[in-house]
Amino acid sequence: MASVTIEQVIKRYGDTQVMHGVDLDIQDGEFVVFVGPSGCGKSTLLRMIAGLEDISDGTIEIGGTVVNEVAPAKRGVAMVFQTYALYPHMTVYNNMAFGLKQAKMDKAEIDKRVRAAGEILHITDYLERTPKALSGGQRQRVAIGRAIVREPEVFLFDEPLSNLDAALRVQTRLEIARLHKRLGTTMIYVTHDQVEAMTLADKIVVLRDGRVEQVGAPVDLYERPKNTFVAQFIGSPKMNFFAPSALAATAPADLRGGSEDALLVGIRPEHLRVCEPSEAIVTARLDLIENLGEHVLAHMVATDGTEFIAKMETLPEGADTSAMQFTAAPERVHRFDKASGLRQ
Amino acid sequence: MSDRTLPRLLQTPAVLLLLVWMLVPLGMTLFFSFIRYVLNSLRRPEWTSPSIDNWRGFGNYQFVWNNDGFWLAIYNSVFIVTSIVVFTVIFGLAIAILVNRSFPGRGIVRVLLISPFFVMPAVNAVLWINMILDPVLGLQGIAVAGLNEMIDGLRDFPVLGGFFSLWPELSPISFRATQTSAYAVIIMVTWQWTPFAVLIFMTSLQSEDQQQKEAAILDGAGKWSMFRNLTLPHLGRPIAIVVMIQAIFHLSLYAEIEIVSRGNGNKNLPYLIGEFATNNIGAASAAGIFAVILANVIAIFLLRMVGKTLMD
Repeated sequence: MASVTIEQVIKRYGDTQVMHGVDLDIQDGEFVVFVGPSGCGKSTLLRMIAGLEDISDGTIEIGGTVVNEVAPAKRGVAMVFQTYALYPHMTVYNNMAFGLKQAKMDKAEIDKRVRAAGEILHITDYLERTPKALSGGQRQRVAIGRAIVREPEVFLFDEPLSNLDAALRVQTRLEIARLHKRLGTTMIYVTHDQVEAMTLADKIVVLRDGRVEQVGAPVDLYERPKNTFVAQFIGSPKMNFFAPSALAATAPADLRGGSEDALLVGIRPEHLRVCEPSEAIVTARLDLIENLGEHVLAHMVATDGTEFIAKMETLPEGADTSAMQFTAAPERVHRFDKASGLRQ
Repeated sequence: MSDRTLPRLLQTPAVLLLLVWMLVPLGMTLFFSFIRYVLNSLRRPEWTSPSIDNWRGFGNYQFVWNNDGFWLAIYNSVFIVTSIVVFTVIFGLAIAILVNRSFPGRGIVRVLLISPFFVMPAVNAVLWINMILDPVLGLQGIAVAGLNEMIDGLRDFPVLGGFFSLWPELSPISFRATQTSAYAVIIMVTWQWTPFAVLIFMTSLQSEDQQQKEAAILDGAGKWSMFRNLTLPHLGRPIAIVVMIQAIFHLSLYAEIEIVSRGNGNKNLPYLIGEFATNNIGAASAAGIFAVILANVIAIFLLRMVGKTLMD
């Protein structure tokens, strides 16, 4: 097990710079999730840690050693790829044993480790099959098994669930969480799915355009997003934003009175609730209802035309859908600077 | 009438045409191989037209079997085909892997690599045997003469000269000779067909999964281990295709053998058939049937070997 320290890491491809000085501290045994939209540099950063991309500038330390010049196989990392990247011509057993054979490990030890990993992942029954004969979920387990047998200091996951169907994704997500609990190894996990990030992470790193936007525990990011980007990225559906002019006359003075150019008010859909006209923060008419069974998503249009979403259990009976009033608890109302997007 | 009947009826003309296309020549060859049939005979003019009255049974087969050149022709056919296949696969692999990485001018290099394939076999043979392999006027002769001259010059050196004077004079190899003409054929056909292997291997290499290679890097595999465990199995099918197609093509080599040595010392089966066919059609047909048998024997061996790769 080991900690990972990333200092001022920069990545350039020719003249284009894609990572702009990333700093990050990952504690021993932590489960860290890199999250962000496509092209934000999360995979590049992971591949730099793995050694599959070289580091243009800055340093990456694993377990206290600078690994910039260390060969990928010697860094004590193991990676699980999005496409599984199993060796198609080898059996499951040999897929897992390949890395150990390359390291010239003793046959008995290899056998012991492979069978142990097979037990953990429930794949002992098909150790002699080739990957072709396996389903997507089984292949992903083999890929994870291949990482486990090497007993790495750090596990790297590159969007491991995105090729699985929805049900399997939830199940495998749970298994990865269990695996982390069981092994206690440092894990770094890349995804673009904020649900995976929220459920798995001890610490989430939100990236955008090669920069770290915010680092923190999932709840911190949800409750106190540093800027509008993080606020929108974490949580589903996205946070609603209102200009002061969109708010009702009864809204608190400090929200409504704010300068039009300076303030953006953010409220999550699940924190909006229907209320009396006297306490309304925003008044809106109903545009469309999406009923998901356990709750409904009401697509609303505020008086000035701002569109937003309110999440509630059911639409109140007999409500006048042409003018509904919404409010939210004061601690659930986020204030952002409009120009910079930073939290106020 | 089942719903399969109409499609089958519609396919029938095509299938029949193909059957006729194949069966008629084969049937005629079989028929000719059992009769006496020559193009020109003053002594027995009745043999010059194919007729069942001239029935000879297995006589033609016996005649071919006991012919001096027959076993050499079979041996040569197999030897030439095997050598060409082995060399083209090895060179094809090496070149395909070399040009698979990106470098300036890769497009031009690829076109140049393919170009030998567009040279006509006869032209190819003429170029090689006269301009490259010729012991006097060809590149080979010039190179050997140059080497001899160089060694000659080195003999005048003090001390070291004594060592070089022990060296014998190099003599160029005559590739038209009985013992070497098969090698000439192998060299020129390998040159011409390596591009075919390169072309097929190159397309296959481009479809290789890059993440598998990255996984192997993380597993600590070196270049050779990756080639051995990932690239080579990935190329199994294209190699099988190259081997099969070339085996079929090179069993019928003719132009190169004709041009290199007029069959002197390295007749293969098609060449032997050609020789019989100058007059004795019956014997030529019997040799043709032997060629069909040989081709089938080789095909069965190949299918056993590579069929598994193709089925997966």
